[in-house]
Amino acid sequence: MQEVIRLCHSGEIAEGSARGFDPKGSGRDTMFVVRRDGLHAWRNACPHWTGTSMAWRKDAYLNADGSRIVCAAHGAQFDIWSGACILGPCIGESLVRVTLIESEEGTLSVDISQLETST
Amino acid sequence: MNIIGPDALVFGVDDIAACAQYLTEYGLQPVGGGRFEALDGTAIVIAAKDDATLPAGLGTASMLRKTIYGCADQATVDAIAQELRKDRDVKQLADGAIESVDDLGFALGFQVTVRRKLLDLPGELSNAPGSAARRPVNSVAVDDGMAAKPRTLSHVVYFVPDAAKAEAFYAKRLGFITTDRFTGAGPFMRPAGTEDHHTLFMIQTPPQMKGCEHFTFHLGGPTEVLLAGTRFVAKGYESFWGPGRHRYGSNWFWYFNSPLGCHVEYDADMDQHNDQWTAREAAMGADASQLFLFQHREKWAPGGPPPGAQRAPGDH
Ligand code: FES
Repeated sequence: MQEVIRLCHSGEIAEGSARGFDPKGSGRDTMFVVRRDGLHAWRNACPHWTGTSMAWRKDAYLNADGSRIVCAAHGAQFDIWSGACILGPCIGESLVRVTLIESEEGTLSVDISQLETST
Repeated sequence: MNIIGPDALVFGVDDIAACAQYLTEYGLQPVGGGRFEALDGTAIVIAAKDDATLPAGLGTASMLRKTIYGCADQATVDAIAQELRKDRDVKQLADGAIESVDDLGFALGFQVTVRRKLLDLPGELSNAPGSAARRPVNSVAVDDGMAAKPRTLSHVVYFVPDAAKAEAFYAKRLGFITTDRFTGAGPFMRPAGTEDHHTLFMIQTPPQMKGCEHFTFHLGGPTEVLLAGTRFVAKGYESFWGPGRHRYGSNWFWYFNSPLGCHVEYDADMDQHNDQWTAREAAMGADASQLFLFQHREKWAPGGPPPGAQRAPGDH
């Protein structure tokens, strides 16, 4: 069932940073958004281990220079733009993209039906 | 071989500042030089991943660069050097320690142990009726400010592409004893100088996963594991698995994600074994790994809202 939930204003995510969201109110962030040459949203679920939450601390999804998404469970590294795993246990697999809805005023929202099924 | 257990794990990391903060908030003491110590002097050591003084990496995403074992005396270190020199390079370091590799390419160090004796640190006692070892009268079990500090480096878990080959190396070359085994997955091993159920556990994986799955430090008891983990969660750190209690080894556990590219655990109350023990074997799976498992929940509302009222997410 389609249900659009507001995440934040796009200006609240700085270039080179990431932020986790829990639009379903599950008690744990189920998706995250990275801003690096545009906005990229992914499910917070590492393809290596079903449903693994990837940050090591709230919103900590990126490596030191902000050039890769990292899973803090076993260190898998992912391309920010394609979601592909390029180093680590799940090479060849990919994160699951979440489609962002951006309003003219810059509000970011998602249709949470995208987050319904587990990976 | 009188190897006592791991003295230190050395990591070559991507984000030094994040790892330093993480290890400090986990409860280790920063003592300089990238070294973060438990109460007995065992440690995690971090350096930049491109630091030329580190042994080579494993060629995977793993950041573990060296496992340093503590030995009872220099004679043990020398005996290990002699044994390993039969078929591989052994580097002699300035302080009498040595450095080499295992059969899977993991860098190993051996030194006279740095472990200090822990004095006046009682373990957790319970008021179990019928038991002689009970908490004294007028002594309370918990208070808000109580310490829950890592006491000693407990064990490291490797992902290995050939668990049988790895087990044979640690058994035949270094005198480790297998206490239990997960069929097809790997062995729990203890070196001859400790009675801990395991200081090394190895899990068979594809080669691209070779590295460290987790490490952990022993705390004073289950209450300390729950307390340290709860405090860690409260600081925003990401719980991965736990708290719970393992079946093999009986240790209490709570695992967290970390910027060291592996999980980091709190553990306590591990079984002790000697040579009379007969290794058990079971298939690896949730049932074999955990006797029970709890999940942290931030909110708890005793009684809950009136019938029919809207519940907040997370309240049950
Ligand atoms: S669960 Fe993400 S790297 Fe293993």
